[in-house]
Amino acid sequence: MTCAPPPDAAAARGLSIRYPYAQADALGPLDFTVETGERVLLLGPSGCGKSTVLHALTGLLPSAIPATRTGRLQLFGADVDTRSPAEWADRVAFLFQDVEQTLVGFTVADEVAFALENRAHPPHTMAAAVAEAMTRARLPENWHARRIATLSGGQKQLVALAATLAQGGDLVIADEPTASLAPHAAHLLAECILAPGRTALIVDHRLGPLLDRIDRVVVLAPSGRLLVEGSVDKVFAHHGATLVAEGIWTPAAVRLRQKLQDAGHPIPPLWRVEDLAAHLPPGLDLAPFLLPPPCTPGPEVVRLEHADCAPPFGPVVLRDISLSLHAGQVLGIMGPNGAGKSTLAACLAGLAPPKAGLRQGPPGALAFQNPEAHFSTDSPRAELALLGLAPDRIARALGDWGLSAQADQHPFTLSMGQKRRLALALLTETDRWPVLILDEPTAGLDLRGAAHVAACLRALAQAGRALAVITHDADFALSVCDRVVVLAEGGIAAEGRASTILGDSAVLHSVGLAPPEVAPLLHRTTLVRC
Amino acid sequence: MLSRLHPLPKLALCLIWIGASLLVFDLQFQLAALALAFFLLWGVERIALWKLLALMVPFALFGFGFLTTSVLFQRDSGYAVQMAREQGALKADLSPGLVLFTRVLACGMISALFALTTDAGRLVRALMHHLRLPAPVGFAILQAMHLVPDLCREMQSLRMARAMRQGQGLRRIPRPNELMALVIPLLAFAIRRATRAAIAMEARGLHPGSRRSQLPQPGMTPLDFVASACGLLILFIVLHLI
Repeated sequence: MTCAPPPDAAAARGLSIRYPYAQADALGPLDFTVETGERVLLLGPSGCGKSTVLHALTGLLPSAIPATRTGRLQLFGADVDTRSPAEWADRVAFLFQDVEQTLVGFTVADEVAFALENRAHPPHTMAAAVAEAMTRARLPENWHARRIATLSGGQKQLVALAATLAQGGDLVIADEPTASLAPHAAHLLAECILAPGRTALIVDHRLGPLLDRIDRVVVLAPSGRLLVEGSVDKVFAHHGATLVAEGIWTPAAVRLRQKLQDAGHPIPPLWRVEDLAAHLPPGLDLAPFLLPPPCTPGPEVVRLEHADCAPPFGPVVLRDISLSLHAGQVLGIMGPNGAGKSTLAACLAGLAPPKAGLRQGPPGALAFQNPEAHFSTDSPRAELALLGLAPDRIARALGDWGLSAQADQHPFTLSMGQKRRLALALLTETDRWPVLILDEPTAGLDLRGAAHVAACLRALAQAGRALAVITHDADFALSVCDRVVVLAEGGIAAEGRASTILGDSAVLHSVGLAPPEVAPLLHRTTLVRC
Repeated sequence: MLSRLHPLPKLALCLIWIGASLLVFDLQFQLAALALAFFLLWGVERIALWKLLALMVPFALFGFGFLTTSVLFQRDSGYAVQMAREQGALKADLSPGLVLFTRVLACGMISALFALTTDAGRLVRALMHHLRLPAPVGFAILQAMHLVPDLCREMQSLRMARAMRQGQGLRRIPRPNELMALVIPLLAFAIRRATRAAIAMEARGLHPGSRRSQLPQPGMTPLDFVASACGLLILFIVLHLI
């Protein structure tokens, strides 16, 4: 007698989804499965429908998010519509992308207990279950009664992880869970939800901590159809070029291999930096592939001298900051959550004058993390017209920023990449601001979007603007920044040439930052940078 | 110390004092209630004096309306003043407006006493636990509390972006036209955030009408009984003395 194999944790056959008023399907038709005990990574470019798949899995779409779904979708062998999304919560745990907006409890214990309460878990064992989940997520015991509102973004993500662990579903669905986590926390999260034997479907751009724990990768094309699927090795080593061409995030080694191939240096299929190092042509200088082109710094444009920086009408968070921005140079601002990066940006831009010390230089522009903060009219065309541009110049700007097709669409209805491009266009299509500071400009963007932002930054620097970029992404910083400043504990922890700072793992680890994936190759860069 | 008390008996006691303040039309009683609440906040809870005075401003403005009406327009005094006269508890030499003024202040200070010494999350939890406040309503209230700081952050970004565009400094208090311009974007933000929160709650199993349990909450302690008894005893003594 043989036991029947367990049903697939999730299975889709001919799944298509169309949002109201859309002319085309947002997704599909798509066939895929997540077998019980399998850990699947779902990848694809922005707007291909990754989050749509996750929302459809437990029926949130179309029950809570209006859309039309066709095709068959099953969870654990049963049609997803046989139960409500809330009822599926006993088997499926969902870790959302934006924990800031999805945590429900007032205290940490409330949050961790929430799903257990909804399942009518016996009260007398609930406290123990909450404590156990908190221990597994390495949350301090005294956080039990701590208010959620007092936690940083990364800490909230860990609380959300503890809540997911307490929920204990048979399938874990996670939408970009490592986005705002410090490196050690991202590894812990991967360890917890991608432990061997667990069933998980995860969407993430930050691949480093995940790939060793992934059994299969499913990649969606921009159309929302299946592009390629298979093991990590098969997808990244053998289809890396396709993924890069489609603007899909890949390990840094895949992108570098592609650049080397394009430059006439053939490298065998691989996806790990360590493997790449072994196949590099001897004596090859990697600087042109990893670092921005050399530049000659122009005159100083903005200077902070012994400045105490504070957010508008808030307390001082950075003390004794001395820093300058030069024309034609890009400064990277890095640091752990809560280090004061946005405060420094506001101070550099002149939006929050220092409480003590001095700021010298013209007013600058700050591209906010939420690009919607920049919009005040009902279309990209009208936004650009507000700058006083002539109609032909507006048309050209819309074309340059890839927004011609959306010229008359309401800015709030654009995709994240389009919103970010519009915000940048509004700040750069005028000569008003010689200083430009961008706060996390690649957040929510796919590889193509991030590459576009990087190219824009370098072009603006070449045109003589002084630029600063706040980013968590060390590989992005390495590719666009000439200098980097690392903030920690209310001051500057390190400052210097980007390749020097980002190649110093000890400095980065000491402030809880991850070095770039290509850090082991930085010794192969020889050009002198500005 | 008052922050450690269970929110429900504290709420009941504050409501009893507010009820007494509404029913007992006597200046001495109102002053006693006001002084007691003020003493507890300033003397026991060590709340800054400027904060207490600032909190009292809207109540004082409201009460001042009664006072001026009563003093300046005695014949045309409003319904509240008329009712006060008819209650007969008023001494002839005291303006009923003064009593109404102090009553507003006393009620305001007692409300502030509750609000400033009570953990809002614990109160909502206690209401869900003991008074069967429906979970969707309770968690919606908690979400609203999360929304306030998020809205403030969002408003800060919007204001900075506007100041940057207009080439002006950021004013501490926004002008009315600036506030009007912020309404739509903030509303859009609030709706989007509330929608995401509702979807997350549903995905994690919250369903109206379904049976759910509660994480055990700290119960009432002897201190709560002692504090409640003291509060009632003081009320009785004050009523007896006036």
